[in-house]
Formats: sequence, C-alpha cells, structure tokens
Amino acid sequence: MTNCENFRDSIGRWLDGELSLSESAEVEAHVAACAECGEARRQLESLQRALTGVLVTDAAPIEFIPFWREVQRRINSKRAWYEDISQWAREFFTAPRIAWGVPAAIVLLLAVVSLESYFPWMRFGGGRNKFASVESIDGHGRSVALLRENESKTTVIWLYQDEEGENETGEVGSKSGPTF
Amino acid sequence: MELSDRELVQKCQAGEMNAFEDLVSRYHQKVFMVILGLLRNREDALEVAQETFFRAFRKINSFQGDSSFYTWIYRIAVNMSIDAQRHQKRNPLEFRESMDSVLEAQNETAKDPFADVHDKELRARLIKAINDLTPEHKAVIVLRTIEGRSYKDIGEILGCSEGTVMSRLHYARKKLQDKLSAFL
Repeated sequence: MTNCENFRDSIGRWLDGELSLSESAEVEAHVAACAECGEARRQLESLQRALTGVLVTDAAPIEFIPFWREVQRRINSKRAWYEDISQWAREFFTAPRIAWGVPAAIVLLLAVVSLESYFPWMRFGGGRNKFASVESIDGHGRSVALLRENESKTTVIWLYQDEEGENETGEVGSKSGPTF
Repeated sequence: MELSDRELVQKCQAGEMNAFEDLVSRYHQKVFMVILGLLRNREDALEVAQETFFRAFRKINSFQGDSSFYTWIYRIAVNMSIDAQRHQKRNPLEFRESMDSVLEAQNETAKDPFADVHDKELRARLIKAINDLTPEHKAVIVLRTIEGRSYKDIGEILGCSEGTVMSRLHYARKKLQDKLSAFL
C-alpha cells in the first residue's frame, strides 16, 4: 500500500475528528500538499454535505402531542400474549444468533450422541436395544443375520454364505440363501 | 431546573408517567430522524418510533444506567429499524415515492436545498445508494450523519467495537462514493 493510500484511508476518520492531534496534523499536512488526496477530501466532504441534505434537511419535524398520545395509547392498551411471545422471538432469534446457534446445536447433538460410545450405560436411543446386524461366524465367509430384540433375546433371521466364501470353500451351494 | 436523563429515568422507575413524557419529548424528534434515515418511509418511521418508546417504557425497570439513556433508546430504535427493514414488505420504489411526496409537500413552503438539476439528480441517486446499503452499514452512516456521534458512542448503540464502526463507515462511504462518483 502506498503512502497516499494510507492517508486516504485516514481522511474519513480525520474529518470525523477520530484521530489524535499528531495524526490529524500529519493527515492535514499531507492533504494540503497532495493534489490527489486533496481531491479525495473534497469528494468526501461533498458526500457528507449531500448525506446531511438527504438525512437531516429532508426530515420534517413531527408534532409531539399526537406522537405522545399514540405512545400513551400503546402503553395503556393490553396486548395479546402471543404478541409478547412474537416480539420476544423476533428480538431473540437475530441473524447472528441463528448463524452461531444452528452449528452449535448440531455440534452439541453430535457430542451427546457420541457420549454413548464412551458410556454405553447411557443409551440415549431407546431403540438401540432392538436392531438387525450381520455378523461373521467364521473365517470362511459364513455370516449370520441377527435381530437383537433386547439384551437377553437375539433371533437368527438368516444364515448365509457370500459368493467369495462359496468359491473358496465350495461347502455351501446356492441353496444357502441370498447375500445381503 | 431541568432534570437530567438519569433523574427522569429514576422517576419513571418509581412510576411517574410525567417523567417518561419528558423523556419522550426530549428524544422523539431525533429518534424519529434516525429511524426515518434507516427506513426512508415516513409512516413506517413514525410507527417504529412510537413502538420504540412503548418498548422503552415496558423495559424501563430493567434499565440499570450502565449506559446513557440516549444510547439505550437509540439501541432499541436501531434494532427495531433493522428488524423492520428485514420485514419491510414495500419495495424501494415505493419508499422513494413516499419520500418524494413528503419532499414535494415541503418544497411548497420551504426553499428546496437542492435547487439545481445536478443536485436533484445527486439526491435521487444518493437515496437509491443509501437504500442499497445493508442495514448495518446504513445504521453507521445515519448515526454519524444525523447525530454526529463518536465511533465509541455508535459502537455502544450498535453493540459492536469502535474498529467495526470505523470499517463499516469506511466501506459504506466507499460504496456511496463509487455510485455517485460522477456527481461529487
């Protein structure tokens, strides 16, 4: 970044009175000596004048008495409960909160679910006691499909041998059943 | 002797409605101008300004005095305006038409500050450029221009750091300058 670019970035803060005395003096001296930075200052001041014209000059005053009466009417009127909840929700669920909250909730959920791996007694998912699985019962490709209904009851629902195991052993033919 | 904001707030907290009326009287115009700057629609701005003071009244007991009253009321106003902008159903063309009708009514009785064609064109483009800014960038421009607040005060109102205010102002001005370069 060139020297002029540094100064140009500071012109706004200088005009806003946000620089220290020494910084202000430095920017002022540079802007007085440099034609391009002088032009940048002129443009910024011109923009500020136009903004003041649009935002301040154009804003016609409002009368206090009707304004206050309406505020009073709102204070004295009773609002429905759902309006309060709606107001609270709109104030609470702001975009930054949602942006942080959704990923945080996902991470928290994953953390809670993964706790079960370390603490099996926690069993968050009640249905986990009842699940189907395929387990190998020997080293020759023979497997068994199981339905585990609870800790003490497991039902064998299919016994089969995969294609590779069949070719290797030749013990069980196609009648052994389908592969999963 | 005129009471300070803090004293009026304490009286409000003690249940004195007149004290709240004094606070509204003191700040309604400026709060309305800030909201109008953000929403660019007079009717919407009036509605949000009244709702701002209504909510301030309801929350007055939770106001601890950690910040000044004006910072607190402006924070409510700006947050409500940003929220209203996100839910605003009217399109920007309607905003401009709404503003133009107000300005035309004013021009009948007051001298137009933008007398020549160049300045009228600049104003029209500036209004469009302001409408194109994000609510956050618009907020720093409005608070700085209307209120002339320091970066620190604006940061307190918007709930962000001075550095964020500085960078938002720099970015917003750059955006406006880029769109208006032929007119400045």
